[in-house]
Amino acid sequence: MARTSVLRDRCLVSFSLIGGVILGLTVLSLLSMTVKELSDIPHLLRVAADAKVVDSIVLTMGAGLNAVLILIVLGIPLAYVLARTDFRGKGVVESIVDIPLILPHTVAGILVYLLFMRRGLIGAPLQEIGITFEDAYPGIVVAMVFVASPYFVNAVREGFEKVPVHLENVARTLGASRFTAFYRVTLPLAARDIFNGSILAWGRAIGEFAAIVMIAYYPMVISTLIYYRFTTSGIKESSTVAFVMILACFTVFIVLRTASRFIGRKYDRV
Amino acid sequence: MIEFKHVSLALGDFSLKDVSLSIEKGDYYFIIGPSGAGKTVVLEAIAGLHLPDTGQVLIRGEDVSAVPPEKRRIALVYQDYSLFPHMTVRENIAFGPKMQRLPKEEVTRRTERLLSSFGIEHLADRYPGTMSGGEQQRVAIARALAVEPEILLLDEPFSALDPLTRERLMTDMARIHRERGLTIVQVTHAREEALRLATRAAVVIDGRLAQEGPVREVFEDPQSVRVARFVGMENILNGTVTENTDGLVTVQVGNASIAAISDASVGERVAAVIGAADVAIARRGESTGMARNRFEAEVTGIVPLGGALVRLHLDCGFPLTALVTRRSADEEGLAAGMTVIASFKASAVRTLPVD
Repeated sequence: MARTSVLRDRCLVSFSLIGGVILGLTVLSLLSMTVKELSDIPHLLRVAADAKVVDSIVLTMGAGLNAVLILIVLGIPLAYVLARTDFRGKGVVESIVDIPLILPHTVAGILVYLLFMRRGLIGAPLQEIGITFEDAYPGIVVAMVFVASPYFVNAVREGFEKVPVHLENVARTLGASRFTAFYRVTLPLAARDIFNGSILAWGRAIGEFAAIVMIAYYPMVISTLIYYRFTTSGIKESSTVAFVMILACFTVFIVLRTASRFIGRKYDRV
Repeated sequence: MIEFKHVSLALGDFSLKDVSLSIEKGDYYFIIGPSGAGKTVVLEAIAGLHLPDTGQVLIRGEDVSAVPPEKRRIALVYQDYSLFPHMTVRENIAFGPKMQRLPKEEVTRRTERLLSSFGIEHLADRYPGTMSGGEQQRVAIARALAVEPEILLLDEPFSALDPLTRERLMTDMARIHRERGLTIVQVTHAREEALRLATRAAVVIDGRLAQEGPVREVFEDPQSVRVARFVGMENILNGTVTENTDGLVTVQVGNASIAAISDASVGERVAAVIGAADVAIARRGESTGMARNRFEAEVTGIVPLGGALVRLHLDCGFPLTALVTRRSADEEGLAAGMTVIASFKASAVRTLPVD
């Protein structure tokens, strides 16, 4: 029934055709790459087994996960405050949260570099206790946290806003402190949004290139490796690495999306 | 038990303005008023969820501004039930006792007892999302009682329920109030609920306390036109006092003169307020007893009220509403366009200052 009604609706038909262009572009690009890569399977397998490629993918995904863990610790409290309070200057705070969204990534890279380089405001003291960001793993993570933070904070904040404040109020009159009410009521009810925000932030983090190369060219994350292979060995090498990365990402995303359907399923009828 | 001293509180678009009231231990206290008048804010202020901007809230004689909601022993039930959707009914009810760190056996004992006394054992393992409004409401009240509060706050608890369920819950609440000696504060915009359950009532309109007192008094002796309108005084007629003889005044309403018992002075603008139930209807030529106010009236409308009563709209030169039984209306053959005699006693007319 739904199908016939869509087909008869001129508005929806024309919109679908126009909207299809975007889907077409993505699908077409993936198809053309897939066809090309599958035409030389030995080469594909060789690249896929290349330790440098595998290491880089593991490094990228691991650093992304690390960034998400940091965002969970720092971003959830911020998201909760933004969801539950109203204060003068809240608009300013919201804009600060969104800054990484609107900056060119190279600019984000420079901001991160200035702060975390050896002589940077934060980099220098941490250098003293042996944590180096330049050309090191912490540099990658910190750049990822910076660019992914708005995605995480905004998604989680929306999740908290969906939890009726009445539920917290009731929990408190029943004897729960504000912390306990948050932990026992609000947090579990926002679990799915936190999970989805994490996926979003993770996806954004592993996709980052410009901000990361500025502070940490080495160890090479996958984007850096692809760019490096592109400039030194050409399109064939780099596109195969890219294809392997696509396969890895797809697998992870499908698993995570499936998992998210089961998280917080019972609470849908808030 | 609960005392508001000149409490003012602004909260977004809502505000309470200089509200003072006192609720005694064991009262079934109603806060009534039109929707959006700030009644819920009063409850939340009692619960400690909002602190007053100025003024004091005293509970058991003590200023509680430093006492957080979780330490007040006051349970709150919202209109939307606000059950925790990620917990079963049993977990919802056990939440409070667990928060109070009661021993496990005591948590179980209380939970099971409430499940059975509210007749909801069969729902114990269900999640709230799958239950009807009436079921959710019973769980919400059971959950509130599980902490054995001294004060129970109810925010429009019956408004979203079908009439049968509402009836049952009202009976339940009356019983709970009687058996537990609880102090209950209930917010509503439904007058029948207040008349049925309340011992005392306050009328809050636009964030201000308009009147407070024993519920009968509030309903039968409104002190202002706003309250009169809200408690269902159907006839509110603006006029001027033209005569005052030993407390028997004449109020000129348009071309008509209405006799009332009042201490208003000559020349004063007043509203003459008459309950529809106080207006008697007779055929022309029939005796209307000794009522001082007697008007020839044309019936302009007859509205069945669903029960034994019908409401008559009359034109006596001024509009007047009367209640008669459906049986009388049928027997007398009342119909729109008929002329009848409407009468009411001077003592049934209250004069209130014009708003």
